Amino acid sequence: MENRPLEYDYTIAKMFMFTTIVLGIVGMLIGVILAFQLAFPGVNLILGEGLAEYTNFSRLRPLHTDAVIFGFTLSGVFATWYYVGQRVLKVSMAESKLLMVLGKAHFWLYLVVVASVVVSLLAGVTTSKEYAEFEWPIDIAVVVVWVIFGMSIFGLIGIRREKSLYISVWYYIATFLGIAMLYLFNNMEIPTMFATSAAGESGIGSWYHSVSMYSGTNDALVQWWYGHNAVAFGFTVPIVAMIYYFLPKESGQAIYSYKLSLLSFWGLMFVYLWAGGHHLLYSTVPDWMQTMGSIFSIILILPSWGSAINMLLTMKGEWQQVAASPLIKFMILASTFYMFSTLEGPIQAIKSVNAIAHFTDWIVGHVHDGVLGWVGFMIMASLYHMAPRVFKREIYSKSLMATQFWIQTLGVVLYFTSMWIAGITQGMMWRAHDEFGNLAYSFIDTVTVLHPYYAIRGVGGLLYLVGFLMFAYNIYKTMSAREVENHELQNASPMGA
Amino acid sequence: MNKLYLGGIIFTALMLILTYLSVGGSKGGLNDDIVNMLAITGAVALVIITVFVVIKYVRQMQIDSATGELVDENWDGIGEYKNSVPTGWAVMFLLTMVWGMWYWTIGYPVNAYSQIGEYNEDVTVHNAKFEAQYKDITGDRLVEMGESLFLAECKVCHGINADGIDGKAANLNKRIDAASVKHVLEKGSNNKLMGMETPMPDRSGLFNANTGALITDAEIDTVSAYVANGMSGEGADIFAGACSMCHGADGKGMEFVAPNIAAYTPALVSTVLTHGKKGSIGVMPKFERLNDKQKEAVGAYITNISK
Amino acid sequence: MFHWLEKHPFFFAVGVFLVISFAGLIEILPSFAQASRPVIGTAPYSTLELAGRHVYIKNSCNACHSQLVRPFKSETDRYGHYSLSGEYAYDRPFLWGSKRTGPDLMRVGNYRTTDWHENHMKDPASVVPGSIMPAYRWMFTKKADIDTAFAEQLTVANYFSVPYNQPVPMKDGSTAVVKLGNSVAEANTIALEEAKVIAADMKDQDVKDAVARGEIPEIVALIAYLNSLK
Ligand code: HEC
Ligand code: HEC
Ligand code: HEC
Ligand code: HEM
Ligand code: HEM
Ligand SMILES: [Ca+2]
Ligand SMILES: [Ca+2]
Ligand SMILES: [Cu+2]
Repeated sequence: MENRPLEYDYTIAKMFMFTTIVLGIVGMLIGVILAFQLAFPGVNLILGEGLAEYTNFSRLRPLHTDAVIFGFTLSGVFATWYYVGQRVLKVSMAESKLLMVLGKAHFWLYLVVVASVVVSLLAGVTTSKEYAEFEWPIDIAVVVVWVIFGMSIFGLIGIRREKSLYISVWYYIATFLGIAMLYLFNNMEIPTMFATSAAGESGIGSWYHSVSMYSGTNDALVQWWYGHNAVAFGFTVPIVAMIYYFLPKESGQAIYSYKLSLLSFWGLMFVYLWAGGHHLLYSTVPDWMQTMGSIFSIILILPSWGSAINMLLTMKGEWQQVAASPLIKFMILASTFYMFSTLEGPIQAIKSVNAIAHFTDWIVGHVHDGVLGWVGFMIMASLYHMAPRVFKREIYSKSLMATQFWIQTLGVVLYFTSMWIAGITQGMMWRAHDEFGNLAYSFIDTVTVLHPYYAIRGVGGLLYLVGFLMFAYNIYKTMSAREVENHELQNASPMGA
Repeated sequence: MNKLYLGGIIFTALMLILTYLSVGGSKGGLNDDIVNMLAITGAVALVIITVFVVIKYVRQMQIDSATGELVDENWDGIGEYKNSVPTGWAVMFLLTMVWGMWYWTIGYPVNAYSQIGEYNEDVTVHNAKFEAQYKDITGDRLVEMGESLFLAECKVCHGINADGIDGKAANLNKRIDAASVKHVLEKGSNNKLMGMETPMPDRSGLFNANTGALITDAEIDTVSAYVANGMSGEGADIFAGACSMCHGADGKGMEFVAPNIAAYTPALVSTVLTHGKKGSIGVMPKFERLNDKQKEAVGAYITNISK
Repeated sequence: MFHWLEKHPFFFAVGVFLVISFAGLIEILPSFAQASRPVIGTAPYSTLELAGRHVYIKNSCNACHSQLVRPFKSETDRYGHYSLSGEYAYDRPFLWGSKRTGPDLMRVGNYRTTDWHENHMKDPASVVPGSIMPAYRWMFTKKADIDTAFAEQLTVANYFSVPYNQPVPMKDGSTAVVKLGNSVAEANTIALEEAKVIAADMKDQDVKDAVARGEIPEIVALIAYLNSLK
């Protein structure tokens, strides 16, 4: 057995690759629509006056964030887990019937949740908490999906042949634990239908409505402890898991330093959780908690940069690979954007900088250099690496991939530079006083100046979406081509240098 | 010099120029505001640091080569070197941790910072600076100040030209329109326009001395047009008979009795801003957050444009 | 030690969990001890206001509007007094928002009015040229969900002792009592009384007619809520 090459089972990985792409398209398309709605409000009526309730900016915005986070990103995380997990633990899913059943249950239940989220958000059923909009029935389903995911992870780990856990697995485990803890606490809510008996009536109002267990400032505190760390355990930790596997694997290089991985990992785990206070600067939460948020944000630069530097150093002496392979370019640029946004975040977490940045488009810029440049690039790179191996076919077109790389890079740059300028401009205009000491601008003045930047952002986002469609097409053509690979490729991708 | 560094320098220079242009170009400007300056500095530092650190590593990709001792394990073909952590990174990590602990245990408590304390100081300084500056201004400067305030605070309802945006709020270019007068005559008015409760009676309390009877529908229409026309045209007799005892023969009002309905005065506007106003068009909110000088200034501005 | 952990997944997971739960224990828990107490002048939401708050949430107004006045001169000039923790005591969930595509609404009840909101929600750009806020015309015909608002009132009254039907101190030294119905029918009656006051200041004939018939369009509830933000 040990001498025969393992046949990994990629059934579940393929399923999640599919949702990664579909939900990526949906989420980003909505993002582009949102961007143009802010530049040209007429787009709110894109499907006519009659459907305006469902197509206006405010109804669509949570759909965008949830589609890209819980749809695109999480699917990417699941897809890569079901690929990477087997390989670095040296065990095939096919070896356990139970794991296959769990995997499939994971996927189908996840789809059910996605469908109910789409329907409920379109209908306006939301609790308003950012990235935790779902009402309690969906919360329960989410928890079930998550428990299955956990059983999948630990089940596979339980039957592993490779005794020691690879770095990526550390990060997947942390993703599982982190989200589990955060999600539970932030979603403590009382369904109102259980509380109506006092009036001698049962089931008053809508059955799915609930009210938060926390109020006001406390609610804010829990929400941003969650919100900040949802970024940590959704947009950072699992993506780091990906780069730690796919970059060395694709390039054939060994990880630059185990010690650096170690310190970065435990450092990140410890420091990240404290930084949530930076979303509440100058709010009514106590000063000391805000200060804590700022301090830990600054310290957080180092464990974040640790992983990025480790990746860049892994490519030491390998410039020819970077130059030749668009796939490696994606990953190198991803770690660059990761460094960029993890320096930008701490700078915005400094209290006086946040005085300008908070509530403005500079934050939206920060968000998207992270999610487009880092999360998006890494997920696409991972799928590009997986596709030839799970479908046993060469990537359809390398030149298409290279073109896509440049189009999307331009898109990201347009996105974040325009939002930067927009945010800083708006932040300064809000603060400006005229020569008499009165406010210099009415609010609407600070909105109309942003028009050109909103338009540029829309174009940038559109370019990114076009690139993503090229990616989808490339993968589609790859999987539907005639089978050519009969054996597993060991190192470089078919199109590698 | 390596062309990467050159590229880096050109890129950051470009960013700097862009930032300068957009900030210098925006009317917000730096404004001697420490917060503005910090934000810009942060943004610029962010670009410079990231670009040059990444260039440093890209250089290593170009010229260095990977070496080191591998760990025993190997995962799916991936090895790990036992290299030690980069010194610069380790030092920075230590420094930030030490700084964090210092700041938390000493820096922050000793500083005894409070955001509300900071706010109170800011307000005191700000008020002292500007009150001294505009305490005594009058005439055109006052109108200018009023215009600036109007554009920041009032144009959302009254429109940029103060024309009331198609009847959505009062048109402030003229004292009052016929529909509003008519509404007051029919329903009365109780908006503390004299600074206190001095209701104007509705039609059941409006006698026309010329006819010795309650004011009639036709008379209401005529006198409304007369008032709205700036006290001219038909209806002078009705006004004299029914209104002048309170509003004065010329409509300019009488202290403690009735407001000026021929023209705006800064005092009238101030009163509206203090108490708000409800009429045929809708409700005008009160503006408690404006101080007396500011109210006087918008009053001067409105008086000026409605002449 | 780390090498050992990496070979023992269970303890590895326990280790990670301890490390990540630490911050929550120290940062979050203490603040719950001193749960925010309402400041004087803060009253619970009436049935209609709460229904309006649900309309606000349903349409994610918080995606563009904050409800948090930070202690800066420029913000207190624009919006009024900076926010106090106790003012949010009855806010479940909180609605501070994280983006000001539009202005803060924490105290919008002080400087905007029923008729203005009516015009504005119907067609923002017609009142504020250049506005990028969407128009919310369907709110003029859809009915507000009073029953759910009532269910929520009952819930918070039962579980969090929110003082309905009890005197709450106001800023001017007086007290106010926010009424909570004894039944769905009574709750609807109370809400309708309030809706009539709002509708009287409105221009839209269909809305006025609806309220006269005993129905409450979403816009009426929303305006009641916006007016309550002070
Ligand atoms: C008994 C005294 C009295 C008489 C008679 C009277 N008014 Fe008035 N009028 C007032 C007072 C007092 C106010 C201010 C009411 C308030 O504070 O809202 C007022 C307000 C008004 C206003 C509203 C001004 C504004 O900006 O809203 C108009 C218009 C007006 N009067 C027109 C008339 C006309 C026309 C007549 C005669 C047909 C008339 N009034 C007769 C006392 C009088
Ligand atoms: C929320 C909308 C709104 C805002 C903001 C607003 N107004 Fe008004 N204002 C109105 C409406 C509506 C009326 C008409 C009331 C009526 O007579 O029906 C009005 C009436 C007035 C009047 C009385 C006109 C008259 O003939 O009696 C004055 C004066 C005035 N506004 C000045 C101002 C000034 C100065 C500002 C800014 C500091 C301002 N308003 C801001 C809505 C607004
Ligand atoms: C696309 C972003 C967007 C959404 C969504 C949005 N608004 Fe606005 N809102 C704005 C902008 C921009 C302004 C400033 C321009 C104006 O007054 O129209 C504004 C202004 C306002 C104002 C006036 C506040 C003031 O101080 O002038 C109110 C009230 C308001 N919005 C309420 C709402 C409500 C209620 C909703 C949800 C049902 C909502 N908005 C949804 C963007 C938005
Ligand atoms: C060192 C790491 C980071 C720190 C200290 C940090 C800090 C911050 C700060 C200060 C804000 C603004 C809060 C506000 O004023 O509203 C913010 C917002 C945000 N950041 Fe980061 N950031 C970091 C990394 C990242 C990364 C890598 C991503 C994504 C890939 C990311 C995604 C976001 C998102 C989505 C928001 C918006 C939250 C909201 O909805 O308001 N951040 N971050
Ligand atoms: C095609 C590319 C995209 C475009 C054009 C786009 C556009 C937008 C727009 C217009 C907003 C609202 C900003 C506002 O309220 O002012 C937004 C918010 C957001 N988007 Fe995207 N988006 C894109 C892709 C993505 C992706 C791929 C992700 C995540 C993986 C993402 C995550 C987010 C998040 C987290 C927010 C909320 C930010 C906040 O609240 O501060 N977006 N996006
Ligand atoms: Ca929930
Ligand atoms: Ca946000
Ligand atoms: Cu954060």
